[in-house]
Amino acid sequence: MKDFLLILKTEGSVWTDLSPEQLQKHMEHGMAYIGNLMKEGKLKSASPVDKGSRIVTESNGIMKDGPFNESKEVIAGYFLIVAKDIDEAIEMAKANPIFKDIPTKIEVHPMMPVRGN
Amino acid sequence: MVAILTKIFGTENLDFAEDVVQDSLIEAISQWQYKGVPDNPSAWLFRVAKNKALNIVNREKYKREYSKVATHFLQSEWTAEPALNDLFSEREIQDDQLRMMFTCCHPSLSSDSQIALILKTLCGFSTQEIAKAFFSTEENINKRLVRARRKIKAERISFEVPHGKDLEKRLNTVLESIYLLFNEGYSASIGADLIRYEICEEAIRLTEIISQHTAIQHQSNIFALLALMQLNASRFKARQDSNGNILTLEKQNRSFWNYSLMESGFSNLAKSSSSDSISIYHILASISAYHCSAADYTSTDWESILSLYDKLLQIDNSPIIMFNRAIALSKVRGADKAIAELEQIETVASIKSYHLFYSTKAEFYIELNQFSNAIKAIETAIELAPLQTEKLLLQEKLKFCRENIF
Repeated sequence: MKDFLLILKTEGSVWTDLSPEQLQKHMEHGMAYIGNLMKEGKLKSASPVDKGSRIVTESNGIMKDGPFNESKEVIAGYFLIVAKDIDEAIEMAKANPIFKDIPTKIEVHPMMPVRGN
Repeated sequence: MVAILTKIFGTENLDFAEDVVQDSLIEAISQWQYKGVPDNPSAWLFRVAKNKALNIVNREKYKREYSKVATHFLQSEWTAEPALNDLFSEREIQDDQLRMMFTCCHPSLSSDSQIALILKTLCGFSTQEIAKAFFSTEENINKRLVRARRKIKAERISFEVPHGKDLEKRLNTVLESIYLLFNEGYSASIGADLIRYEICEEAIRLTEIISQHTAIQHQSNIFALLALMQLNASRFKARQDSNGNILTLEKQNRSFWNYSLMESGFSNLAKSSSSDSISIYHILASISAYHCSAADYTSTDWESILSLYDKLLQIDNSPIIMFNRAIALSKVRGADKAIAELEQIETVASIKSYHLFYSTKAEFYIELNQFSNAIKAIETAIELAPLQTEKLLLQEKLKFCRENIF
């Protein structure tokens, strides 16, 4: 088993772009999906991203922090999941019902495990 | 419900879980007064409690130390609700009640505290009801509960079902406490009748949860205890006449016995005989089974009952068992032999203050037509009997003896 980080990016935001009815449906489907992952013991943690992201940069030894400029793509949230291999992780990402509600991309990153010497 | 919430908040916040339940009930009562009782009241209550729990978790996210299992999922918008839904699911509720039983019956708590805690957290009794059942004051019960919760917190008693070798030992404590709980309900000496019967039912319900749970290998003494309680409880309603007088087994109207409960008792007794080990519950349940299977009092199989008591004495030779054995002995070998037995234990303190000891002794004397001895014993019994109904019954017996003495 291996950890995978899923980063959800959406075009626009479900909070602002969906009607109240659509949002309600979206939440229900999402909770069912998340609930299933939890029951199967495949979810380590997950959270949506709140407003107010900042970005910290460094150039020529000077640290700066500024607003996180999002283009049309928004980071909606992350999942830290456990899967047998990347293929299973991809299948789990594909099953996310968010695809039906808003244009979405999900990045699937394998996490590096502790390496013994 | 307190059991589930305890998984969320942790045993160190037991009072917190109780508050949520209390709040939910208050909200329910005030809402239902205006809007009527909803179609599914328990689902409604659970929803309210769930929301309250969620609010508290949100509000005090970082202030309190919650139970480790649940905290992490409860703190994210995406996972909090599914986590709570899962905690409130039927299977989890059963699991939580089991965990709660092990927490309430932790060996470092006194048996008084264990029982009060079980009634409060697992059976949902109010402090007032518990006080009533134990013939105590609300204040005393409250103190007992506070002390128990403090101990749970101080010793960090975990909210889990133990495994391996620990399980067996701890399970025995749980069974003992439940049996004690049952006896508190069953014993005729104290409290309001209705509540006492409910206590018996709760003891049976808790044991059923244990017996059905997959985490626990089906041990024969669980079924034996279940059988014992069901067989005894099946006779509960026949133990009083319409005036509330306590009726002895001999005078009970057997058509008032609860035969479907009795049947469950017999089937559990059959299940309990699957292993070689014999517990005290096995023997007591078998004795009760002989009483239940007799068509009437005179056809009771006293020979078999006496031999069961002999076995019981080998495991536990306490005076109270010797006392009960004497009754069987009187039926098999005669009242004079039984009186000789009783005299052996008469000096023991717990027996000396036990009214049934003297009323039983009196019965033996009456059988032997020794009325003056019987009168002496009855007078002591009247003095010791805690219930008015019992005193009255004994007065009548006294009158009977006085009429016969001349």
